[in-house]
Amino acid sequence: MTDAGNMIWLPLFALFYVAVMLFWTRVAALENRNYETYFSAGHTLSPWISAIILAGASLSGWFLLGGSTEISVRGFTQPGILQGGILLALPGVLFFKRMWFIGQRLRLSSQTELFRSYFDSDFLVVVSTAVAVLFAVGFAGLQLRALSEIIAALSGGMISQLIAGLFLGAVLFAYVGIGGMRAVGYFGVIQTVLALTGVVGLAGFVLISTGGFTHLNDGLQALAEGPDGAGLFMVSGVIQFSAGLGRGAVSGHAETALTSFGLALAFMGFQASPLTAKIVMSTRNANGFAAGQTWVMAGVVGGIIVFGIAIIGAAGLVDANMSLGGMLAQLQTDSPWFMAWLFLGAIAGVQLLAGLGLLTAGESLVRHVYKPYFHSGLSRMATVNLTRIVIGLLTLLSVLMQSLAPVTLSALAALALPLSFQLWTPLLGITWLRWITRSAAATGVGFGIAGVLLTEPLGYQVLSFLGLELPWGRWPWTIHSAAWGMAANLTAVLIISAITNRNAFGEEAQEARRFVASTLRIGSRARALGAVAWSVVLAWLFLAVGPGLVFSNSAFGAIDASGGEWAVGMPSIWAWALLFWALGVGIVWFLSYKMEMASPHMLEIAAYEPRRKLKRDQSSIERERLRKLIVTGALAFVLIVLVAFSFGG
Amino acid sequence: MSAKPNTERDLLVFSIWAVLGFGGLAFLLEGFKRNSYLITLLGTAFIVAGFVAHIIVNGLYQQGFRSGETALGIGLFGVLTFTFIAGVFSGGMSMVDYYSGLTLFAVLVVGFIAYLSTRHGLRGAFSRFHVKTSVSGDGSR
Repeated sequence: MTDAGNMIWLPLFALFYVAVMLFWTRVAALENRNYETYFSAGHTLSPWISAIILAGASLSGWFLLGGSTEISVRGFTQPGILQGGILLALPGVLFFKRMWFIGQRLRLSSQTELFRSYFDSDFLVVVSTAVAVLFAVGFAGLQLRALSEIIAALSGGMISQLIAGLFLGAVLFAYVGIGGMRAVGYFGVIQTVLALTGVVGLAGFVLISTGGFTHLNDGLQALAEGPDGAGLFMVSGVIQFSAGLGRGAVSGHAETALTSFGLALAFMGFQASPLTAKIVMSTRNANGFAAGQTWVMAGVVGGIIVFGIAIIGAAGLVDANMSLGGMLAQLQTDSPWFMAWLFLGAIAGVQLLAGLGLLTAGESLVRHVYKPYFHSGLSRMATVNLTRIVIGLLTLLSVLMQSLAPVTLSALAALALPLSFQLWTPLLGITWLRWITRSAAATGVGFGIAGVLLTEPLGYQVLSFLGLELPWGRWPWTIHSAAWGMAANLTAVLIISAITNRNAFGEEAQEARRFVASTLRIGSRARALGAVAWSVVLAWLFLAVGPGLVFSNSAFGAIDASGGEWAVGMPSIWAWALLFWALGVGIVWFLSYKMEMASPHMLEIAAYEPRRKLKRDQSSIERERLRKLIVTGALAFVLIVLVAFSFGG
Repeated sequence: MSAKPNTERDLLVFSIWAVLGFGGLAFLLEGFKRNSYLITLLGTAFIVAGFVAHIIVNGLYQQGFRSGETALGIGLFGVLTFTFIAGVFSGGMSMVDYYSGLTLFAVLVVGFIAYLSTRHGLRGAFSRFHVKTSVSGDGSR
């Protein structure tokens, strides 16, 4: 087939994708009655739809684009990536059921509202909104940029990266702006199956191209025996006390067991993000969380990551031409129809995440920040329309940043997961740990954010711009920023909870606590198993993603700096990951069903009726608030410019 | 408004064809390109699996094919038949292409008849096509 003939398949499949998108957007818009159930699909998404889109959004394109590239470049030095399915399932088991019940009782539809109702904290509302914007613009934007680059490369420069980005952005805006959460849910199911098929298909092609699993592992074995090859198949100890990437030297490579642990914590941040909360609270009932987290997330997605992503990455490690980009280019020549179909899967996965992020960010900015603080008289229709405009602007911002400011985009994207992980403490306070006080939760998150910013490039680049040079680089002591942030976060939470009033909660928080305590009481059998369950979870975390990872270096073979030999026909560290993935599925099942943490629970939940309050005209206060915001923003800008001119670069 | 069963059923149908339909198409094209009957057979198997999954979903939601789906299916069948006949007359087909096409059509036709006869019974299946018209006046005799 000619080059021109090969080029036809990607646009053809893209056309199919757009046609399907338009169909489901129309269905969603009709069922929404334009704006009435735009934000949360009327809380009627089926449990199976939620389970599937949670899996699709969690997998997104990161594991395919980022995870496989990490393995292709750095080998199996960060085995935390391979446990992605289990790590993404565990927080879901912990939080989703209780979040859904509280949301139903208090009639809430997002994480931002949950924080406002329970903690009455404006700070947490703003942080949750900021995290949603980071996911929409940064995290998803970076993945869309990678896809745009691949499209530009596949078209031989005929389609520029900017045009590809604008096309992907237009599709995103079309279905999210018109159809809202319902379109994200409906189209998300199709996007998820396309994404999962894409990864499985690409892994299959890799196996065929490399001559099968045995040949692929022979290639890895040869690599391990070469100079500096062994280091690609081992973590370099538990910890290295270096000053961080870009500052201090390390022996061997910088990926230690604790780097993997920090990365694992960052993955767990996604399930605490406002994006997943949006799906959870738009769900009809809580009966699908156990099955979704156990079989879809831990089982299917986990399996696809530990086999599929690992295979794709390993092929790129053996032969750079077999990396994701190289493989797609080869398929473009040999089998353009397969390339188009599988690449569509990658696009679908990233678009699901981006669409969900845009909707959540748009809603948070308009409905949870602008409306309550600056324009409480906004009608529902105006709120929806304004949200659509904000979604359009965020999409445009993301597309422009993809082309014009990729470095800033990358720095922002790196913050999304670790910052989202800092929301674990307030969520734990709402769902399980009643002793976490309002001030402790807010201060803890504040400290957590500081911890993350000071150990990520954006933080120290901003400080450097202002004239303050930090003595450490990225991830000091080879510990990921998510872990540094959580260390600061937990310390603050423990100290402040100990010294503040643990009963000082508002009416809605007290009602939520009462409701959860009375309806979701764990049975005696599950209570008796509690100690066993947590011991098993801690042991799994220690061995699968924690310091125990050092045992994986030689558990199924022998490896040292001079080379290695596998005992099971594949790298020891990969075999270890497979073993702990299988054990992880068992643990998620045990926690979900036997410990009743996500098990189905039938209950008619009546809405909580708060005491009626007189409504006052807030317009003058809101105008004043807006004026103060503008003045503060302008002053901050002037101050930053002055400081930068005086001390910085 | 709750998500109607029809919406959920349609979602499943779209998902099935996004995976099995397009996968089948890709394997068929790959088989034609490589002149491999086995690969085209795999493509046919994907398409048959798509139909089977579609019928299972119909069964779960207790309904048959919708009229739009039937029209699309028959339309695609027509396009495929036309393409196949045009290919035969143009003389550019290899024996593998020829047998692959025949296999696909045979499987589709047999599957269609099997579906109708299991759903409506042999007599009922025939009645789907045999449109009875009432003739005025006959009844009085």
